Amino acid sequence: MLQSIVHVCLAGLSAGMFIWLVASGLTLIFGVLRVLNFAHGSFYMLGAYFCYTFLRFMGENFWLGLLVGPLCVCAAGFAMERFFLRYVYHLALPYQLLLTFAFVLLFDDLVKIFWGAGSIGSPAAPGLSGSISVLGRNFPVYSLFIIGVGPLIAVAMWVFLERTWLGCIIRAASSDREMASAIGVRVPALYTGVFMFGTWLGAIGGGLAVPYVGLLTPGMGETIIIDAFVVAVIGGMGSLKGAFLGALVIGLLSSFGTRFIPTFDMFLTFILMAVILVWRPQGLFGEST
Amino acid sequence: MKKTKMSRRDFMKAGLLTTAAAALGPVAFKPTGLWAATPNLKGPIKVGYQAVLSGTLAGYGAFHNMGVILATEEINAAGGIAGVKLEVEFRDSTLAAPEAIKNARYFVDSWGADFLGGIDSSGQALALAPVMAELDRVLMVTHAATEKLTEEHVFKKGIKQVFRICTPTYQDSNAAAFVAKDLPVKTWSTISPKYEYGYTCWEMFKNTLTKFRSDVSFIADSWAPFGTTDFRAHINTILDAKPQGFYSTEWAGELISMVKQANQAGFFEKVKHVMFPVGAAMDVLEGCGPELPDNVWISGRYFFLYPDDRRNNDWVARFRKRWDHYPAYVSETAYSTFYAFKKAVEESGSKDTAKVIQALEGMTFESPAGKRVFRKEDHQAMYNVPWGLTVSNPKYPFKVMGKQIVIPAGECFNRPPFEGPGTKPPF
Amino acid sequence: MVHRYLTYGLYGAMAAVLIGIGLFSGRFMLYMTMKVMILAIFAMGYNLLLGRTGLLSFGHAAFYAAGAYGLGLVSLHLSSHPLLGIFAGLAAAFVMALVIGFFCVRHTEIYFAMLTLAFGMMVFSLIWNLRSITGGDDGLVGIMRAPLDLGFFSIPLRKANHYYFFVLFFFLLSIFLIHRIRQSSFGLILAGIHENDRRIEFAGISLRNYRLAAFVISGVFAGLAGTLGTLLESNTAPFSAHWSYSAQPVLVSLIGGIHTFAGPMVGGLIFIVLREIIERFTHNWMLWFGIILLVIIMGFRGGVVGALSGFAKQKKTASTEI
Repeated sequence: MLQSIVHVCLAGLSAGMFIWLVASGLTLIFGVLRVLNFAHGSFYMLGAYFCYTFLRFMGENFWLGLLVGPLCVCAAGFAMERFFLRYVYHLALPYQLLLTFAFVLLFDDLVKIFWGAGSIGSPAAPGLSGSISVLGRNFPVYSLFIIGVGPLIAVAMWVFLERTWLGCIIRAASSDREMASAIGVRVPALYTGVFMFGTWLGAIGGGLAVPYVGLLTPGMGETIIIDAFVVAVIGGMGSLKGAFLGALVIGLLSSFGTRFIPTFDMFLTFILMAVILVWRPQGLFGEST
Repeated sequence: MKKTKMSRRDFMKAGLLTTAAAALGPVAFKPTGLWAATPNLKGPIKVGYQAVLSGTLAGYGAFHNMGVILATEEINAAGGIAGVKLEVEFRDSTLAAPEAIKNARYFVDSWGADFLGGIDSSGQALALAPVMAELDRVLMVTHAATEKLTEEHVFKKGIKQVFRICTPTYQDSNAAAFVAKDLPVKTWSTISPKYEYGYTCWEMFKNTLTKFRSDVSFIADSWAPFGTTDFRAHINTILDAKPQGFYSTEWAGELISMVKQANQAGFFEKVKHVMFPVGAAMDVLEGCGPELPDNVWISGRYFFLYPDDRRNNDWVARFRKRWDHYPAYVSETAYSTFYAFKKAVEESGSKDTAKVIQALEGMTFESPAGKRVFRKEDHQAMYNVPWGLTVSNPKYPFKVMGKQIVIPAGECFNRPPFEGPGTKPPF
Repeated sequence: MVHRYLTYGLYGAMAAVLIGIGLFSGRFMLYMTMKVMILAIFAMGYNLLLGRTGLLSFGHAAFYAAGAYGLGLVSLHLSSHPLLGIFAGLAAAFVMALVIGFFCVRHTEIYFAMLTLAFGMMVFSLIWNLRSITGGDDGLVGIMRAPLDLGFFSIPLRKANHYYFFVLFFFLLSIFLIHRIRQSSFGLILAGIHENDRRIEFAGISLRNYRLAAFVISGVFAGLAGTLGTLLESNTAPFSAHWSYSAQPVLVSLIGGIHTFAGPMVGGLIFIVLREIIERFTHNWMLWFGIILLVIIMGFRGGVVGALSGFAKQKKTASTEI
């Protein structure tokens, strides 16, 4: 029983941290730009495909692929923000959503055109492909790595936003755009930068998914984006701390649910999401406004 | 992806293929039946084909399309069907029933299709059946596996327009039980898709296996919703139950993910007897690569190494020459669909739906997968697909079937009237 | 005044064209026109919420599905009378919209959108998992169109050209009802909420009740679309409750223009016809559809109808200046 619980915990932690990697970019973009980016799932997909392509080109080196791939996706993020999204910030919410939705359709088909419609089985990460025995049952090293990377990115983002000059400006711009602009911050450039950073985070999530999921398919972003939405909402829209804890809650809930409640379903996570929204619209860990 | 309507380049390739095709498949191309006497068919024969071309399963549509194009090229290069040209249009069915219905209506009412083919999802197939009765065209289902289609719609409700050329859930569950009865396994478990296909197969597998052996028990089941990418919690559930055997109807990308993650968890060292009814699909074999362990039981709706005869081997060679790829099972069912239509039209001397249905009922025809017979009562194609144990073979960059067991379709498929004693195997 | 006659003239012409299609078209044309009309009912009702009240719902597919399954279950198990089925579907959509709306209208903006998304997906997973009732992912199949029995005589609906006029009747009825709702004092208060909710609240009007009423009305129209769609396709499937299906009325309203009455109708027409045209020359319909969406968002801010009427007005002012 102990073995089972420990393993269910580990599976839940790795699932949660994996969702956090994707949700972090979504939350950051929403927190600063106030745009809910449907296409974030597409960046996740593109991250995976670019990472895979570079690792194939560069002698099966996953780590090099992980370094270069997401940077390419950043370029897509730049184009999307600079040439499209920028012109709809002042418009109502539905227009922004529709714009990002159009990009979902676009990216899905582009992936099919360039990489083919079929699924691609992807290789394990070199050096981390094995498993270690935890209480007599194997647990993949790579999942442990994900469990480690998640908090690392969280801490890095916290340090960046709270302790650096640039982070301070980002926070200022997110709480009051006009004021930031008045004191000489180039808000449009800042927005582009934040969007690209958020894109990069999504693409890193995709890159790390290459060994974690073990499979690339067109449309792979659409399954993760709803999870990321749920996490972002439960934690509190725009709150990075909330998204981190929200991801942990969702990861562990689905892992324990799958193991101990045979009828468990996504239904429960949506009930959780609804209850939290009704009770505390600012989310579990968001600050009330 | 290109539209299936053949481009000029395709025609040139078809020209090159003509010689090969004409030389290799002489029996199929010879005019036979009524047509030989009365070649009076008018206009091209139009087939509207639909399969999923978008989303995570888009690869299946691409595989369908390869079979469709190859069949079209070969048939037209050899003079068409009953002397008239074959025209094909291919559409994205997605996985939504309204989309499939719209396509079918477009094909018949707007484009003027004489026959329809394709369909991946069971829900779509069931939704289409009544529509086919209204449109009064033959639909050849090439992938959807639900037994309800043939048992309820064709047999009980009498929708004669629907046929199925691929193996249904019987192959996935009844045939699996025939294999499982001889394994030294008393406790079985499953991780299966959390939808009708998964539930039905597990239920059928349990029922048939229990009839063979009273000493087996089914101790753990874990259900994965459509679109699951992380199977680690499910795998833990099964490992906790410590079963001897594992049966899973996960398929396509989800099966690939599950196999890889199970491997990492050391699952296959703990559970020795594993059965994947749709594990012999090309995308799964290639996607898993070396990570699919040896000695796992796999099957499918066709496997390119069976039957090991000239017809099949030649076809695989032609397919590889055309597409630089091994044929997936949907490629074979798509390809054979056109030859079934061809034979039926040439035998009946007409493309009239009623006459073609009459010709197809009970019709025997040769295909790469071997001899197929359309059972008269429920329009299910009877043909054999092996179950086999995976093995590494230096000739292929993926695992193939080593030891094979063939359960004849007549032995493991449910029999009409599908209710009451003697309709479900073992007989 | 001239503008008003022009509008009436346009609606008259539309009705004439639709009747003409019903009398003289082939089966596929009838089918596609019915699809457009049903989607237009869905989107027009939806736009009462989005365009008038400014609330973006991402869960309206749940009410479409409520209508669909309500009709399907009654038709398969109780009575196949189409009006009874439609009534059951509307009742199901009404109750569901009332319950879900009660929780959702507390919030606005993104929180409202996310809350409706959560409820919509809840309905989706319920339908998916209650297999013994809903048929799971296979859905309910074989829902036949029984004749419309009106006591003293009965009208057959089985054939497409008969059922077409049934759909057309509900389409015109929906246009009339939605027009009346928009012009009523209720509709004007909704518009006021959109303009300035504070002021409306100061006027002593309960925002929440008005929002809830708009939510329920739009939900019932979604249910109506669901029942008609089910009779058209002869089946229902759980994906009719999925969030991606909820996105359809949003898309359609935005394409046509959310601040105009005719926007959702035109949007529905464009949505279905465009998809059909694109599919005739390429398998990459998503790519082209995405590009066209981008053009519409970047180029026609107020939607196609908004842009056209804006253009017409400009021309008018230009001509009066001369």
